[in-house]
Amino acid sequence: MPSAAELAWLIPVLPLVGAVITGMGLISFNRTINRLRKPVAIFLLSCVGAAAVLSYAVLAEQLAGAAPTEVLFNWASAGTFNLEMGFRVDALGAVMLALVTTIALLVMVYSDGYMAHDKGYVRFFTYLALFSSSMLGLVISPNLLEIYVFWELVGMCSYLLVGFWYDRDGAANAAQKAFVVNRVGDFGLLLGILGLFWATGSFGFEAIGSGLQIAMANGTVPRWAALALCLFVFMGPMAKSAQFPLHVWLPDAMEGPTPISALIHAATMVAAGVFLVARLQPVYEAFPEVNAVIAVVGTITLVLGATIALTQMDLKKGLAYSTVSQLGYMMLAMGCGAPVAGMFHLVTHAFFKAMLFLGSGSVIHAMEEVVGHEPVLAQDMRLMGGLRKFMPITGATFFIGCIAISGIPPLAGFWSKDEILGVAFGQFPILWVAGFFTAGMTAFYMFRLYFLTFEGEFRGGDRAMAAQLLTAAGKTAPDHDDHGSSHAHHPHESGWQMAMPLVVLAVPSALIGLLGTPWNSRFGQLLDPQEAIEAAEHFSWAEFLPLAGASVAISIAGITVAVLAYALHKVDLGTAVAARFPSLNAFLANKWYLDAINDKLFVQGSRKLAKQVLDVDSKVVDGVVNLTGLLTLGSGEGLKYFNTGRAQFYALIVFGGVIALVVLFGSLG
Amino acid sequence: MAFPWLSASILFPIAAALLIPFVPDQGDGKRVRWYALGITLVTFLLTVGGYLNGYDASNPELQLVERVEWLPDLGLAWSVGADGISMPLILLTSFITSLAALAAWPVTFKPKLFYFLLLAMDGGQIAVFAVQDMLLFFLAWELELLPVYLLLAIWGGKKRQYAATKFILYTAGSSVFILLAGLAMAFYGSAEGAPISFEYSQLMDKGMPLGFQLFCYAGLLIAFGVKLPIVPLHTWLPDAHGEATAPVHMLLAGILLKMGGYALLRFNCQILPDAHAQFAPLLVILGVVNIIYAALTSFAQRNLKRKIAYSSISHMGFVLIGIGSFSALGSSGAMLQMISHGLIGASLFFLVGATYDRTHTLQLDEMGGVGQKMRKMFALWTVCSLASLALPGMSGFVSELMIFVGFATDDAYTLPFRIVIDGLAAVGVILTPVYLLSMLREIFYGKENLELASHAELVDAEPREIYVIGCLLVPIIGIGLYPRLLTDTYRASMEALVARDESAMKALIAPSGGSLIRQLPLRAPMLPG
Repeated sequence: MPSAAELAWLIPVLPLVGAVITGMGLISFNRTINRLRKPVAIFLLSCVGAAAVLSYAVLAEQLAGAAPTEVLFNWASAGTFNLEMGFRVDALGAVMLALVTTIALLVMVYSDGYMAHDKGYVRFFTYLALFSSSMLGLVISPNLLEIYVFWELVGMCSYLLVGFWYDRDGAANAAQKAFVVNRVGDFGLLLGILGLFWATGSFGFEAIGSGLQIAMANGTVPRWAALALCLFVFMGPMAKSAQFPLHVWLPDAMEGPTPISALIHAATMVAAGVFLVARLQPVYEAFPEVNAVIAVVGTITLVLGATIALTQMDLKKGLAYSTVSQLGYMMLAMGCGAPVAGMFHLVTHAFFKAMLFLGSGSVIHAMEEVVGHEPVLAQDMRLMGGLRKFMPITGATFFIGCIAISGIPPLAGFWSKDEILGVAFGQFPILWVAGFFTAGMTAFYMFRLYFLTFEGEFRGGDRAMAAQLLTAAGKTAPDHDDHGSSHAHHPHESGWQMAMPLVVLAVPSALIGLLGTPWNSRFGQLLDPQEAIEAAEHFSWAEFLPLAGASVAISIAGITVAVLAYALHKVDLGTAVAARFPSLNAFLANKWYLDAINDKLFVQGSRKLAKQVLDVDSKVVDGVVNLTGLLTLGSGEGLKYFNTGRAQFYALIVFGGVIALVVLFGSLG
Repeated sequence: MAFPWLSASILFPIAAALLIPFVPDQGDGKRVRWYALGITLVTFLLTVGGYLNGYDASNPELQLVERVEWLPDLGLAWSVGADGISMPLILLTSFITSLAALAAWPVTFKPKLFYFLLLAMDGGQIAVFAVQDMLLFFLAWELELLPVYLLLAIWGGKKRQYAATKFILYTAGSSVFILLAGLAMAFYGSAEGAPISFEYSQLMDKGMPLGFQLFCYAGLLIAFGVKLPIVPLHTWLPDAHGEATAPVHMLLAGILLKMGGYALLRFNCQILPDAHAQFAPLLVILGVVNIIYAALTSFAQRNLKRKIAYSSISHMGFVLIGIGSFSALGSSGAMLQMISHGLIGASLFFLVGATYDRTHTLQLDEMGGVGQKMRKMFALWTVCSLASLALPGMSGFVSELMIFVGFATDDAYTLPFRIVIDGLAAVGVILTPVYLLSMLREIFYGKENLELASHAELVDAEPREIYVIGCLLVPIIGIGLYPRLLTDTYRASMEALVARDESAMKALIAPSGGSLIRQLPLRAPMLPG
């Protein structure tokens, strides 16, 4: 009987087979397949479920101390080159496999409820399976090239899913933006991979790490070049994990259905960047400069995300910026040379952020009953409030998520975030300060979300506010919307398909942190036993308590402000802060003006450039041709063209030009 | 004597075309289209038969050779054969043509003439890739021009006369260079008593001096550069592609452009290696210009057909870089890119035609929200566009990757030159999704364009259309998943070709001192002599 690790290739293949079968069904027998909702959902669920079982088996083997497995085959070759593909199972991969399949499964169950009335139900499940397959493939990739392959594929799935509701302009724009911004990152990643291959002749992580050292020692690769290559590669994770300044796509990606935001844009795909940096540790650890850059980028991102989240009124956008901020924490950990801490935060964050997003989806789903299927209304917290009474399960799980992300012990976020702040304190004290204060902001904005959504009075009936929101968004009220008769007056708790995943996710959100306590980190023992033992030996309460106490204190401070402002209404932050610092408020409300800069510089700029090139093409390049032809072509006697001698002359010029160019290159070398 | 697979696949469709007047048809094309489809399928089977029965992929030599003296006084012989450079393109030609015959189903205007030209082109194009004699090559090259001219001029769009005339002037004008270069090479050395010969194998062994090679190379580069096309010789292409009907379009993008790439490999690289060593940097630079320039023009285009036409130009830039690299990987990538673009380009152009049949407009401004009524069409478009933007798992990714890696690790060029070229080519990686996705966005996404919906009947894709795209997607995805399916068929020949070029390159004496582009001879002991 083969071990689970040897069968690990099946983990991405199973969902892929499912997706391909339903996809082909959709294209050939569209109506029939679209009617087979539940059977298709169950079929795809069992595909992902089988992958999940296999993933757990793999994880169990790794926990039992199995050695890493790597299987490769020759994928493409020419001359002396061989490009290899295959799969690799080790502790890091096993953790990710289990994480991705668990969340994918729960999200699929949840989607059955969330997408129940959508006409694209089957297509949605197909995309979900396709995404799971690509993400799982990424996790077990044995080398950079294969990572790049799946990296693009998850990007494509993200594109398809963000643009799922393709009749919405917002979704269409967001999907395209997500893909293009990610391609900008991939541009760097691709060049970096090429350069590393040139320098070391390999795509494997360890081989690149050692090869680069040897090449630098030999002097074949100068140090600056190696540094540049490492930074180029880092551009990929910057885009995928939404790091400043390439984070701009992630908040827009919230146009996709909410289960997608939970699965792709909170728990799995956006974490791929962090995962890749963890994989690249053998390469990066030799370059403190690269690590410093990563840490600084991470810190800017975590501050940026948290500050923008302070002012968001859209529930999903608030969570999205929170994700940006948390991804910044993970990158900070990577930059501090503590991949285990970063990975640990990735895991805990995946659970509680997936739960928060699914909770927000449950809220939006319920709000749609009241205000209609208009995201501008259904997602705005100014129309929410008091929802805990109507939807207790969603409210309670969301509350747990808020405590977890705020870093209150003993919930998950405390342990992982504290570990990151601990290593940052030792490595880059200035960055620690930023991370420390952001922890307070995190607690504040999360509880702001919670109170605005779940506490106080329900504001869903506020027609004036709804009209105002629609005008602000430049939309008109849908005329077929007959309020009162077709819509409920207050929201309802979602069905079991949606509630169950929330409850299931609440368990790890609360407890999984206990696997990573600094004095006995099982998580660390799995990923890096050596380091975990050392850490446990050096652990002292005298060092741990002040830092941990400080971060708990600032979190509580943040929560207190939120309670005062949004639960007890003792402080009106609108007048106390926003009115006093209008420019700061505008700066945050406009998301640091980054979208505006992007639009001006890159979107408009590239359009203009393209327009000019086209003008040159049609007026100058083609103009010359037409001018030569015009005199003769005008009379309709094309063959005369050859008799006039003009053709020969034109040809002679071209010929002479080509020869001259070659002479020029010859003299250049 | 073994069955003459190649001659059969050239002559059979041409002979069958001559019989078309005798096909009983009401004039609506309903019978003749089955006839044509059958013939193209048989031709496809003939080429596959040749591949399976007489072709050994591990042998770099010419195979399936058939040689009959034709006009010995002129040195002309009917000489066909296939090596790794020809074989994949022969298969591509017969494959795409059979799908084009299926794509031509709605053609009702002068169907007999249309299918006659289609079949004649089938044979002519296979001949271009299969013949082993330069005079025959020239004849085949010219033979295929006339059908294209007529197909454009009779079945084209509004500006068809202009486009067709431009096409014929460009290609006929440039093919003069082929004739001149061919004659020059054939007669080279005849004063010293060497026999006059047009055959590739003999031309290769002539040992022509560098100066002579350079002139022939430059002429051929212009001729093939028009076909490929290379910016700034490309302006016939958007017009021709913009006016052609879908099946003609598939042939233009799928096969015709590849004739340029094939000829560059066959003549410029194989027969004139010393000149190639001189010219290669120019090819590489032109390739990068192609990629970026055409991607930008494509982005600004508002006409769907022209947009995709420019995207073809952009993709062919990678072929140039691959050909200009002296690595087996890069050249293999160039070959793969030709096949890959042949498949992807044909699929996109087919979809353009199918969409036009419904919307009756190609202006992106007049579309929008079409995806709501044509969901299958939307899906097909999405898959093919993703293939075109080199998504992993499909063939375009592999070929571009091979060219990138091949060029990056190519010792013939200096490091800064490689960095600049790879970096600029990678800009194409950003630009391609920009124009392709914004195109999808404008056609399919968003609110339904009411004006379009009011006067156009937006029926979803029919089974025939799904079948055509499906047939194209099988090799696209197959190659993307396991590239060796294709690369192994031409690997041996390509390595032999590159070895020849590489030794020529190494013999090239680099000027001493700081060279900008070419590496100084790296491994001195490996220099010949």
